[in-house]
Amino acid sequence: MLLSIQELKVAFRLGERGAVTLVKAVDGVSFDIPDNTTLALVGESGSGKSVTAMSILNLLPDNAQRQGRILYQDQDLLQATLPQLQSLRGKEIACVFQDPMTSLNPVFTVGAQLAEPLVRHMGMGWRAATRQAEGLLAEVGIPEPKRRLDSYPHELSGGQQQRVMIAMALACGPKLLIADEPTTALDVTIQRQILELIARLKEQRRMSVLFISHDLGVVGEIADQVVVMRQGTVREQGPVAAIFSAPKDLYTRALLACRPSLTDVPARLTVIDEHIQGKVSAVVAKPKDPAAPVVLEVRSLAKSFFLREGLFGQREFKAVRGVNFKLRRGHTLGVVGESGSGKTTMGLTLLRLHEPTAGEVIFDGRDLLKLSDAERQLMRRRIQIVFQNPYASLNPRFTIGQTLLEPMMIHGIGADGAERERRARAILAKVGLGEDALGKYPHEFSGGQRQRIAIARCLTLDPEVLVLDEAVSALDVSVQAQVLNLLKDLQDELGLAYVFISHDLAVVRFLSDEVLVMKDGEVVEQASATALLAAPTQEYTRNLLGAIPRGYRGERRSVTTG
Amino acid sequence: MSAVLTTPLAAAPRSEGVWRTAWRRFRGDRVGMVSLAIVAAFLVLILLSATRLVASSWQREVGVPNAPPTLLGPRPPEDLGTIEVPKGPNVDLSDVDPLAPKYKEWAERAAKMKTEEIPRAQTLPLGGDRLGRDVLAKTIKGTEISVFVGVLASLLATGIGTLLGAFAGFFGRKADDFLEWLYNVFTAVPDILLIFAFAAVFGRGIGTVVLILGLTGWAGVYRQVRAEFIKHRGREYVRAAEAIGASTGSRMFRHILPNVSHVILVRMSLLVVGFIKAEVILSYLGLGVPVDQVSWGTMLAEAQAELILGYWWQLAAATLFMAVFVTAFSLMADAWRDALDPRLRGAE
Amino acid sequence: MSAYLLRRLWQMVPTLIGVVLLVWLLFKYFGADPAVILGGLNATQEQVAAIRQQLGLDQAWYVQLGIYLKQIVTFDWGRSWATNEAVSNLFATRLPATLTVMVPILILDTLLSIPVALGVAYVRGSLTDRTLMIVTTVALSISFLVYIIVGQYLFGFQLGWFPVQGWSDSTWTNLTTFVPLPVMLAVLVGISPQTRLYRSFFLDELGHDYVRTARAKGMKEDTVLFKHVLRNAMIPILTNVGYNLPGIFVGSFLIEVFFSIPGLGREVLLAVNRSDYPVIQAATVYLAMLTMLINLATDLLYKVVDPRVVLK
Repeated sequence: MLLSIQELKVAFRLGERGAVTLVKAVDGVSFDIPDNTTLALVGESGSGKSVTAMSILNLLPDNAQRQGRILYQDQDLLQATLPQLQSLRGKEIACVFQDPMTSLNPVFTVGAQLAEPLVRHMGMGWRAATRQAEGLLAEVGIPEPKRRLDSYPHELSGGQQQRVMIAMALACGPKLLIADEPTTALDVTIQRQILELIARLKEQRRMSVLFISHDLGVVGEIADQVVVMRQGTVREQGPVAAIFSAPKDLYTRALLACRPSLTDVPARLTVIDEHIQGKVSAVVAKPKDPAAPVVLEVRSLAKSFFLREGLFGQREFKAVRGVNFKLRRGHTLGVVGESGSGKTTMGLTLLRLHEPTAGEVIFDGRDLLKLSDAERQLMRRRIQIVFQNPYASLNPRFTIGQTLLEPMMIHGIGADGAERERRARAILAKVGLGEDALGKYPHEFSGGQRQRIAIARCLTLDPEVLVLDEAVSALDVSVQAQVLNLLKDLQDELGLAYVFISHDLAVVRFLSDEVLVMKDGEVVEQASATALLAAPTQEYTRNLLGAIPRGYRGERRSVTTG
Repeated sequence: MSAVLTTPLAAAPRSEGVWRTAWRRFRGDRVGMVSLAIVAAFLVLILLSATRLVASSWQREVGVPNAPPTLLGPRPPEDLGTIEVPKGPNVDLSDVDPLAPKYKEWAERAAKMKTEEIPRAQTLPLGGDRLGRDVLAKTIKGTEISVFVGVLASLLATGIGTLLGAFAGFFGRKADDFLEWLYNVFTAVPDILLIFAFAAVFGRGIGTVVLILGLTGWAGVYRQVRAEFIKHRGREYVRAAEAIGASTGSRMFRHILPNVSHVILVRMSLLVVGFIKAEVILSYLGLGVPVDQVSWGTMLAEAQAELILGYWWQLAAATLFMAVFVTAFSLMADAWRDALDPRLRGAE
Repeated sequence: MSAYLLRRLWQMVPTLIGVVLLVWLLFKYFGADPAVILGGLNATQEQVAAIRQQLGLDQAWYVQLGIYLKQIVTFDWGRSWATNEAVSNLFATRLPATLTVMVPILILDTLLSIPVALGVAYVRGSLTDRTLMIVTTVALSISFLVYIIVGQYLFGFQLGWFPVQGWSDSTWTNLTTFVPLPVMLAVLVGISPQTRLYRSFFLDELGHDYVRTARAKGMKEDTVLFKHVLRNAMIPILTNVGYNLPGIFVGSFLIEVFFSIPGLGREVLLAVNRSDYPVIQAATVYLAMLTMLINLATDLLYKVVDPRVVLK
């Protein structure tokens, strides 16, 4: 047994002067990590998985209190002194963190940062360490490693930065690698590469990996053992096959069930609490009317940004080039792409939050882009947007009531204050929130609830088209399911048309009728959802589909296929 | 519609806003509360002084020159040797004295008037200055003037900086370029030099000092407000406000400004301290408050000469009051900043 | 790089024009009539009118502005109204004294503040940290004037360790005899705000992710603070020093007044008291130019210290 965690409890001291409260983050967690094993720690946000991992080497903030035992080679790490821990860190147990851009020191070269642990732990001279660093860079697959030694972190791409972090962690040959959500911040194709790299290195060096993630798809593909956590406790643990094919715990089963899949499309996604209570969805999918009227038509939409260059010159950056589509009432258009594909810019341009450079957006027979200011104000009622970040899309200083009343007051909806309030209450009920929410502030709500409030804000204006810009991407899987179900219900009830922008194909699949795939501002492929996912014609689409982690698929196969 | 009577919005349970939460947190900070009490005490003193209930007669020479503080006791009387007075009757000069005819008339007129002979006190509570004026009264009046100037000047500078910063940050491009140029012009000249230039031109006076400090000190606030507005205008809640059709003014001042106000407040409190110290120096140099007013600066100017002669009480009084007020104000502002910190608030 | 330099130099021009305009407008429309000032208190109407004509003040405003601009471009600063000395000569003779005092202050301030701030950051949260913060707050609340008055009295008058005032022609004598007391007082006062500022820089950096990575690699706390954090904090520290640099030319005026040091600051102050406009105007424009050049140098230095910076 390499590492054994026994009855670990971690609490944080919050509040300084006056009230000091103790917030429990981890409440009695026990599991073992054997040699040469990948153990995945799975959970949603707030489950305590990161805190557990960081407790091993005590990389927690100063106000953390730990209890229990963490045994590594017969030594209780919780009782170890700081110098003892420092000699273990980076040498026997190493870490890779989630955001490589901020985790690397911006003012030192890659070579210097790689050589540092070698000099510290292995007693190497600077020159020898630098040569070793070059070898490490080659091992993690960075091209031209000698040249890269003198690069600074900001000169590398996200994927390359993460490779450097991995190289730095492996420099002294650790027995355990703790990887805290190492691929969450990366595009799906890059994620695939990093996962393959970690798996290969683990095999070659015969070390164990503690892999923390919220994504069951990833976990199923790479893990040997799985530990499922919720709200600071372990719900279930065991070999990956057992967890995926025969989960015993209700929460695990619910977690597995509520992921949207790429293959079948239920009428509603399962929600964790409903699943735990044994409720089964009785809603039957309503077929969409193919002859519904076209509410939005876009022709040759283009948007360029002009950047200053040289002494007086300008450089054109084409963010969106030539997008065309027709959106019918009650239908959903899914827009898929990786970061930098231009999908968000396109969505913002539809509402004229960015001024387009060319093209037409026909709404009810009139070109939105040619409207006067007064007419544009009227148009605002009919097409609205929900943003990605639930923590930034509501004004922190407004109560929910103020947020909901503002659009109505601007457009003169409702005869007086009382009627506007009634409308606000009704809409809150529709999105599943109680009316006592009216007097509260955004920080009192969770991410999923804030997204519902954002949706409610759009609904106050009775729009016909809703642009959803990565609206569920920042939410946990179970909360995601709730919001997606809500969106589907609203679409069925009110006949809303959606432009659903996302990087997650499975989520897009659940809602969309037609799908656009964008890359570098252009539409690479455009087809109905079923056709695109069953038989993609373009290579980029195929790569995209292939890179998506599918979860556990039977006996352990090489990570590269599937 | 439901027939059930629902509570109107005004009566709906309203959660704590930012300010109430901050106040609650501030109350738990002992250092902050003590500082607040001290600052409040000073403000009461200033109010009393401004309404002439206290220290209004600071200009009256009530004590002997350089009267020591009461605690030290009166100075031993100086041994004044008398000049030898010549003996004999006075010589009669009436025939050559041109004023001789007037003496009788003046003596009659003088007899009709009364001169007040105020007995000069030997000691005063905090001592007396070289003219015998009460140092305590001067210090209180000086507090009023110095703090008044500091607060008013910082209000002016903050107002200018906020308005210009909001416009530059929100609109960008041409407006930003122009205001950036203005900012560069004002910061190209070192602060003190700019103040000197303005002082040379405008002269002395309380209003003038406020104007000078306000017009030269807005640059820091401008920089910060501009950065905050740039940060917030790209935030989704402002985009969302634009999407629902809110006007530009509404977005700037109803949406963004409340989210920035705590930063501005902290900045302003730093300015108050800086301006009070600047006023002291200006008044010391004779460029600040006019001759007939007193401020901590004028007191320090007098104190320098007095110190050589061994009279230290005016220096001590002015320094003590200033130190206590500025320290309390700084600590209070620090505590306010901690109470308003968004990281602890959990709202962002 | 050369494109960047050219662009920056080009951008200085509008700012300089702005400063010139500001100064000119300020003195022309808010200042007293120069002819009256030069004439003195007992001048007759005719004398004042004659002076006005001599100075060219009876001409149209754009002609006057034109003359003023020409003077600036040709570096003709005019003559002091009080002493009739050429202003450029005035600056040249006074500058060395100012620098002899201010450069040691600047160097000592920075060199002492960094280790003190580092030390405070090392023991952050402890009683030492909190006590020091309170001490610096109190120290900052007392005006610089008080320090000088008391310091001069104590060390010069009472103890006699240093001369109370004075200056000599030899730089060496100055540095060893007349400079120590003012420098000591100024550094004593200047350390408090610098330490607080640098401490906040260090604490800021300690909250960044790369610090956690350094710890995860097994680096000792000393290495983390003195190597990783310090190197990153040098960026705002250098910016701060560069920002304060232009202020030393006139900022020493209090010291110069108290210690009778014939420097630039005291000269400007005298000019203000005497309404000697040419000196004040010249100082303002001249120092604005200097400030902009120093800012440009600081920005270029930035590139050396922060590899992320791209000078466009």
